[in-house]
Amino acid sequence: MKYTIFMFIFTFFLVSASLVLAGDPDAGKARYSQNCGNCHGPGGMGLASYPKISGKEISYLVDRLQTYRSGKKIGPNSSLMIMMAMPLSDEEIANLAAYLSSVQN
Amino acid sequence: MFKTTKLLSAAAISAMALFATSSQADTMGTPKISAMSILNGLENPWDMAFTSGGDMFYTEKCKGLSVKTSSGSVNALAGMKGAKGYASGNSDLFCSGQAGMMGVALDPNFNKNRRVYVASTSNKYHGSGCKDNFSKCDGNIIMRFEVSKDMKSVSNRVDIVKDIQYKPFESDHPFGGPGAHNGNRLRFGPDGYLWATTGDRHRGVVPQSPTLLGGNVLRIDTDGKAHPGNKPPKGFDKRMYTYGHRNVQGIDFRPSDGRAFTAEHGPWQNDEITALVNGGNGGWDPRPNVGGRGDCPDKYCGYMPNQKEGMLPAARAAFMPMSDERFGDLMPPAWNNNGLSQGTGSAAFLKGSNWGYWEGRLAVGIMGIGFGGTPSGMRIDIVDIAKDGKSIKSVIHMPSGLTKRFRGLRLGPDGALYAAVDEGEIYKITATATK
Repeated sequence: MKYTIFMFIFTFFLVSASLVLAGDPDAGKARYSQNCGNCHGPGGMGLASYPKISGKEISYLVDRLQTYRSGKKIGPNSSLMIMMAMPLSDEEIANLAAYLSSVQN
Repeated sequence: MFKTTKLLSAAAISAMALFATSSQADTMGTPKISAMSILNGLENPWDMAFTSGGDMFYTEKCKGLSVKTSSGSVNALAGMKGAKGYASGNSDLFCSGQAGMMGVALDPNFNKNRRVYVASTSNKYHGSGCKDNFSKCDGNIIMRFEVSKDMKSVSNRVDIVKDIQYKPFESDHPFGGPGAHNGNRLRFGPDGYLWATTGDRHRGVVPQSPTLLGGNVLRIDTDGKAHPGNKPPKGFDKRMYTYGHRNVQGIDFRPSDGRAFTAEHGPWQNDEITALVNGGNGGWDPRPNVGGRGDCPDKYCGYMPNQKEGMLPAARAAFMPMSDERFGDLMPPAWNNNGLSQGTGSAAFLKGSNWGYWEGRLAVGIMGIGFGGTPSGMRIDIVDIAKDGKSIKSVIHMPSGLTKRFRGLRLGPDGALYAAVDEGEIYKITATATK
């Protein structure tokens, strides 16, 4: 019985964690449309001096967003990205990464 | 009680009917608008210029100058460093951040002299400057080319302005990359002279400087010499028509009186439309330790008092005004976008009866920049400016059906409005009068 309960809890957390890590592309698309596209353009295509962010590896996107969220600078528009990334949750970062990595433009 | 309520309801309905009637009356003569993409797959198209026959020259910020002829063929004419497929290359022309090949204008006598003028970033005249962000850096230039009769090449490049300021390195600011704030819109005025806009390049001393070209509107001849009628303050560079601007990316001339108006991009507050006055001051002064401000990051106060978080635009404007009233020669803006900065990219007066009662009004392209709670607002506004240029009578959002980053607007010889958008397209927006 104890083993069954342990396996249930273990599986629950494993599934929950993998869901967060995998991210939801649809939720990411919805979050992206709130304000990310103002600079990075439709689907993260990149506009003006704002870089293309579509089609990148999930790990790269997650790392960048987490780094900006922590307040560290990477590149010339860091202050903007730090401001944008500060309110993002882990789940939102995972969702954004899942969405952007899936877009090919 | 019932009667009172009924009477009030009737009055409210009557009032609503009046407003509805009034609203319908106001729409009489509104032109019917339609938009279609005429070029796509471009990389940051920035500006256009038309021959009387409908050939369209256009720039791409990191590639170069091309022309789409009236017969529909596209010819790549003058390329920048690393650009492929152009008839000629220019290894000194480069792009970085906001900078690159930007404004383009055709000589009023183009049909005879074949001359085209192009503004771009160049490393040709850096000389001993450009070593850091706090010294002179001659990095934006205006070139003159001659276009071949078959529209397939350009030749005889002459650099008519070589000393417009450029930002060479990153700085501690929100849009802090190199290449910030270049202006670089080119238009010929009704006087036959070339008007060129410039930006403050994130250097605090530039806009109010008497000698550094940056944060100005220049009025020059086709050799780059000052218009003899320019009246900047004593000791200022005579090429300056106005000074004290932040980053002017839109300029055009009102058809009714030929007066120059600029559309200027605010920091996190106050996009502005301004009627220019010869020798006037735009009132932008981002130097530290002036105007009640102290030290600022990298000696530039343009994004203060708070660079990293959203705050009320009005509070920002009070601390760092776009048009500082302490200047006696200030040109007050006619419009400030209700105190918001959403990125006024360009402007063009509407000419022709096809525009209905919009004829003579200013179309203003808004790129859409929403920080700190400001709505993005990508759109084209139609602005009715008062005769004295000191206020506006109305603003209408053009129902173009497009939500794009409007970078460049230009009226074509066919009476249509052409719009370059950062998404890589050029649109033709046509109007049909409805009365």
